[in-house]
Amino acid sequence: MKQFYRDLAPWLKLLLRRRQQFLVGTLLVWVTLLAGLSLLGLSGWFIVACALAGVALAAGLPSSLDVYVPGGGIRFFALLRTVARYVERLYNHNTVLTLLADLRHRVFGDLTRLDDASLKRRRASEWLSRLTSDIDNLDNLYLRLLIPPVAALLTILGVSAFIAIWLPVVGAVVAVVLTLLWAVVTFGYGWLGFANSYQQVSDQEELRRLVLDQVQASAELLSYQTQGWHRQKVEQHEALAFNNQRRLAVKAAMGNAFLSGVTGCLLIATLWIGSMALSAEQVVGPILVMAVIAVLGINEVLVLLPAAFLKLGLSYGAAQRLNALKVNQPVFDVVELPENTEGLSLQFDQVSYTYPESVAPALINLQATLPSQARAVITGVSGSGKSTLAGLVMGRIAPTQGAIRVAGISPWHISPESRADHFALLTQQTDLFDGTLEENLRIAKPSATEEELWQALSSVALSHWVQQQPKQLSTHVGEKGQQLSGGQARRVALARLMLRDPKVVLLDEPFAGVDAETARHLAMSLDQWLSGRTAIFLLHQIDDVSLLPNVDCQWHLDGGRLITDTTADS
Amino acid sequence: MTPRHWLAQLAKRERRTLMWAAIWGVLAGGQTAILVVGLAWLIDQLVIVGRSPSSLVPVFIGLVAVVLLRSLFQALQESCSAQASLRIRQYARQVLLDKMAALGPVWLTRQQSGALATQSVEHIEALDGYFARFYPQLRIVVALPLLILCVVGWFDYLAAIFLLLSAPLIPLFMALVGMGAERLNRDQFMAVSRLSAHFIDRVRGMTTLQLFGHTKAAQQDVWYATDHYRRLSMRTLRLAFLSSAVLEFFASVAIAVVAMYVGFGLLGYIDYGPSPELTLFSGLAVLLLAPEFFQPLRTLSQHYHDRAAALGAAESVVAILNETSVVASEPALPRSAQALIELDQVAINYAERAAVLSDMNVSINAGDVVAITGESGSGKSSLLALLAGFMAPSHGECRVDVAAPVAWLDQAPCILQGTLADNLHIAAPEADVDTLTWALQRAGLTELLSSLPQGLETTIGERGVGLSGGQVQRLALARVYLSKAQLVILDEPTASLDAATESVVIKALLEWAKEGRTLVMATHHPAVVAAANRHFECRSGQLVEVAI
Repeated sequence: MKQFYRDLAPWLKLLLRRRQQFLVGTLLVWVTLLAGLSLLGLSGWFIVACALAGVALAAGLPSSLDVYVPGGGIRFFALLRTVARYVERLYNHNTVLTLLADLRHRVFGDLTRLDDASLKRRRASEWLSRLTSDIDNLDNLYLRLLIPPVAALLTILGVSAFIAIWLPVVGAVVAVVLTLLWAVVTFGYGWLGFANSYQQVSDQEELRRLVLDQVQASAELLSYQTQGWHRQKVEQHEALAFNNQRRLAVKAAMGNAFLSGVTGCLLIATLWIGSMALSAEQVVGPILVMAVIAVLGINEVLVLLPAAFLKLGLSYGAAQRLNALKVNQPVFDVVELPENTEGLSLQFDQVSYTYPESVAPALINLQATLPSQARAVITGVSGSGKSTLAGLVMGRIAPTQGAIRVAGISPWHISPESRADHFALLTQQTDLFDGTLEENLRIAKPSATEEELWQALSSVALSHWVQQQPKQLSTHVGEKGQQLSGGQARRVALARLMLRDPKVVLLDEPFAGVDAETARHLAMSLDQWLSGRTAIFLLHQIDDVSLLPNVDCQWHLDGGRLITDTTADS
Repeated sequence: MTPRHWLAQLAKRERRTLMWAAIWGVLAGGQTAILVVGLAWLIDQLVIVGRSPSSLVPVFIGLVAVVLLRSLFQALQESCSAQASLRIRQYARQVLLDKMAALGPVWLTRQQSGALATQSVEHIEALDGYFARFYPQLRIVVALPLLILCVVGWFDYLAAIFLLLSAPLIPLFMALVGMGAERLNRDQFMAVSRLSAHFIDRVRGMTTLQLFGHTKAAQQDVWYATDHYRRLSMRTLRLAFLSSAVLEFFASVAIAVVAMYVGFGLLGYIDYGPSPELTLFSGLAVLLLAPEFFQPLRTLSQHYHDRAAALGAAESVVAILNETSVVASEPALPRSAQALIELDQVAINYAERAAVLSDMNVSINAGDVVAITGESGSGKSSLLALLAGFMAPSHGECRVDVAAPVAWLDQAPCILQGTLADNLHIAAPEADVDTLTWALQRAGLTELLSSLPQGLETTIGERGVGLSGGQVQRLALARVYLSKAQLVILDEPTASLDAATESVVIKALLEWAKEGRTLVMATHHPAVVAAANRHFECRSGQLVEVAI
């Protein structure tokens, strides 16, 4: 229970930051419910009063009944119910959607603070379901779980107090029974459906993962003729998920039946107790009827609660997984790199790194120095630790042992903004975003002129190809840049890098996937662009030394150990 | 096929269960009618006739029975419709996934996989409300108000006429309002879909966003996208809620009118028609039945957005179902006996892009080792997709012998989120541990395997995170070894391997070919070209054979 509260609290706080909207929204719901009850109750009172007056008149007894005030009241409540319902729904939905934007913004913010190691442990399909489904589920808290129960309880108390004015016993019975019922349909049903609805979130996520697998691995599944095998996995999982949903549906059906049974019996009990009071002449007919009708209408106040609370686990599961995204920010003072230095030197001092979930270290006792504005080539087969070394230099991970210094400062302690300004890394995996070529390039430099973009493209030998495309710079690159060939996507990523003006540049396999002629073109552009910067090339091997002019150091990584034998410029 | 048509088709599959749901619903509504009429009678007896409560005990007990019966019918209604909805969704998802398989990798490449996942998960789930609530309610709405109208008419035909007059106006107004809401709802669904695609894309590239210091801007982007969604939604909701407001208005006014009519009638102010005969019993019964008359419609309008959501979801699903399948259906067999592949006047082009390759006439024999070279973007990958049957040629005929599976190795092999074994089973689901280990060894991953404490059961991530590029490529090679394919199509198989591993892999592949298999590879590496016995080059839209 404590844990439950602790997991939900930050989100409830975020939702209730718009306290005023919550109060207004609840008030509107309350007014709507009361207007509906008043309409019927007053009508019932009016009819019985008229009937009694009619009977009296027929018997020739004097009787006076003011028909105008109740008549006006009936018309007023009829109109109020309509208007209040419309305004309430519109107002609360606007609040909900505003909160949705708040929530999404906040969650994405949490994501941007994740470091390399945590990012790699997650998967895009999970993120997606986090931002959409999970946030929607939390958002639902507001309209399904926060406002309705509060408004319902207020209504219950209001109605029973009203009845108690004339029929204290009935009022007390109604208050006790309905408050208990309220507790059952909120807390009780929340508990009852918790396990099933909690399961439903993870079921959907798993299903989404399986579908994503089918989409992304379609080439493999189709060519190996194993689509049937994968589909069977999907169907098995779906069957399990549906079994769970079925159980939840049965609980919901039972819950609603219980609710309507209890309110129905309460209605009859009200009439029974009321009739006793009537025969004892403690109350008049019209008032009794008004009380009965008010209880008849109370079902509407509670009717939406069971379904909402049975799905409490949905919101809790969502909150829990969103909480898992928050990382504990390491506490230290961030520093900025000096602005006006020419280049930055790099120094490795007995650096070792071991990944959190790994047994063997990825890098062992690295010892090396790269002077400012110098260029190094580090060769090594895949898995030798090149990407880890890049992550360390970029300050994306902190060394497990030893220290790494850029101009005397540990990159891990440099502020993210300063790091982005001064360091650049061409990652081994090309990340292009779904959008146009231009949008992808502008990530590097939003203020770039069109001329600069073309220049960057021509330095990676792509300007000619882009000019041939009907949409030129507005050509769509597709998700993950899949509308381009692997080599083209790589060159776009390189062009994007070259739009920036960093002091330290790391290039992981800059020539992968391109033919020899293009590679020479790239090498030439790079040589020009790299002058005045400190640079490290990370390569499997040196295919062609002419691609790497002006290199000062040539190092080799082997199983996490760096072998430094500085060679002359080749 | 239209979305409506598709929904109707789905409903037809569970017609019987859905009909039972509606019948239980009408019966439950009938119990409510009996309950309120019973209440009216009791009140009349107590207030006007002045009978003592104890003499009415049997009636009280009877009403309790009615209440319990109503609960039972409600539960039956809900269970039936939930059951039908579950089965329908299961079937709908099956149809959609089948279609996606038939559309194939080339079509899928051009889609956003996040949106596709949303369509197959969220959008199919969005059908739930329609079948579990809206559809049965639509049947109830026809029967139940009619039943109540009859009861009211029996008490007082004038009151019944009031109700009857206001009733037809309601569907009319709702239809008018609903039409606008439906279109807007469609837009909203598109927005949700795009929003999720937008997000998956940004998160996938989070590393790049961080490297470029672009996270703040991207976070703002997310907010703007959501805010745009909010504005879209509010437009939908303003109209959608208007339809329920119209209904609410008519229901409220009808109750008010009936109350006034009955009240004045009882006072004896109205001499017209049945009014003089009104008693408290009939008057109160009519008043209490009036909201029940509107209740089915109100419930329907509460579920109206279920319908709109289902239609929006159906539209996005039907858009996929209506696509023409790209995957080459059962290609013709090669005409020559020893040929494995024959291209006859074949051209490939994509919409929106210049023609990739045209006029290809090639025959590849079983046992050939074919190297295809060309600049990046010259169409090598498209040619391989054609040979693998992922797409049909836009012109000409491609004849391939596809009795056995084709092994496919991509530039960016797909790594499933799962264990190492899962990732190998994709090529051979039945393979045992020894076979898997053998394949990994042959692909040069012995060291990796022995360094993993959990071995084949180690979980590896999407797009090979956790493995380096070279390891991913070798894992994909292991898949090739596991498959029983005769034709192996390789797209830059050694692009990210170092020289030593590359030569090992090439040697293994050539041995593989010597066992009678055909290799077709796109490559940049001279070593690979040298090992081939045929060499083609993609050059300015043509496929040219280079003499060896």
